[in-house]
Amino acid sequence: MNDNRRQILDMLATGKITAEEAERLIAALERGTGATAMSESDKVKYLRVLVDTNDPLDGPTKVNVRVPMQLLRAGVRLTGVIPASAREEVNAALRKEGIAFDINNVTPQNLEELIEQLRELTVDVDNENTKVRVFCE
Amino acid sequence: MKGKILPPLTASVHVKPAGWRFGIRLWLPLFLFWLLLLPLVVLALPFLFVAAVIFGVRFWASIRGALALLSAFHGTSVEVERPSARVFINLH
Repeated sequence: MNDNRRQILDMLATGKITAEEAERLIAALERGTGATAMSESDKVKYLRVLVDTNDPLDGPTKVNVRVPMQLLRAGVRLTGVIPASAREEVNAALRKEGIAFDINNVTPQNLEELIEQLRELTVDVDNENTKVRVFCE
Repeated sequence: MKGKILPPLTASVHVKPAGWRFGIRLWLPLFLFWLLLLPLVVLALPFLFVAAVIFGVRFWASIRGALALLSAFHGTSVEVERPSARVFINLH
C-alpha cells in the first residue's frame, strides 16, 4: 500500500473525511497513477504518413511512411547548437512571415509536451483523387 | 528506441515488381558505409572544428547532435505501392 492511500485511509479512520470522500480520493489516485504508467509505456513513437492517390495517368499509388519521433527530438536538440546571431535571424524571418515564434523557447521539456499533444492530432486530407492521413502512434 | 547511439546498421529492402511471384529481398549492411565514411569524417574534423570556431557553433554539441540525428533514423520505414511494383524499405 502506498503512502497516499494509507494517508487517505488514516483520514477516514480518524473521521476527517467521509467514506464517500475517501472513495473519490482513492479513485482519483488510481486514475493519476494509471495515467503516469500509460504515459511511460504509450509514448508517441512514430509519425505516420499515409498517402493514397489515384492518378488517371499513372494509376493508383499508395505511400506509407513511418518516421520515428526520436528524429524530431534529435532535430530540436540540434537547434541548441545554432549560434545566437543565427537564432535571431531565424526569429526575425519567422516574425516577418507573421509567425510569432521564438526558437529560443524550444526546450526538450516543451518538445515532450508538444509530442504528447500530437497523440491526439490526425490530419485527414480527402481530395477527389488523393487521400492523405497524418497521425502519431 | 531508447539507448540507440549508433546510426542504422542495416536496411532491408523488399522490391516486388508486378507479375513476379516473389519479390527481391535485400539486406543492406549500412555499417560498411559508416565504416567507409569514418576515415573521411576523421579527416574532416579539424576543418569542421575551425569552421565551428569561426561561426560560433558549439563543436562537440554539434557532433553529438548530428550523431543523435543519424541514430534517430532507427525504425524508419517507407512503403510505396504502385501498379508496376511495390517497394518497402526499413532501417534497423
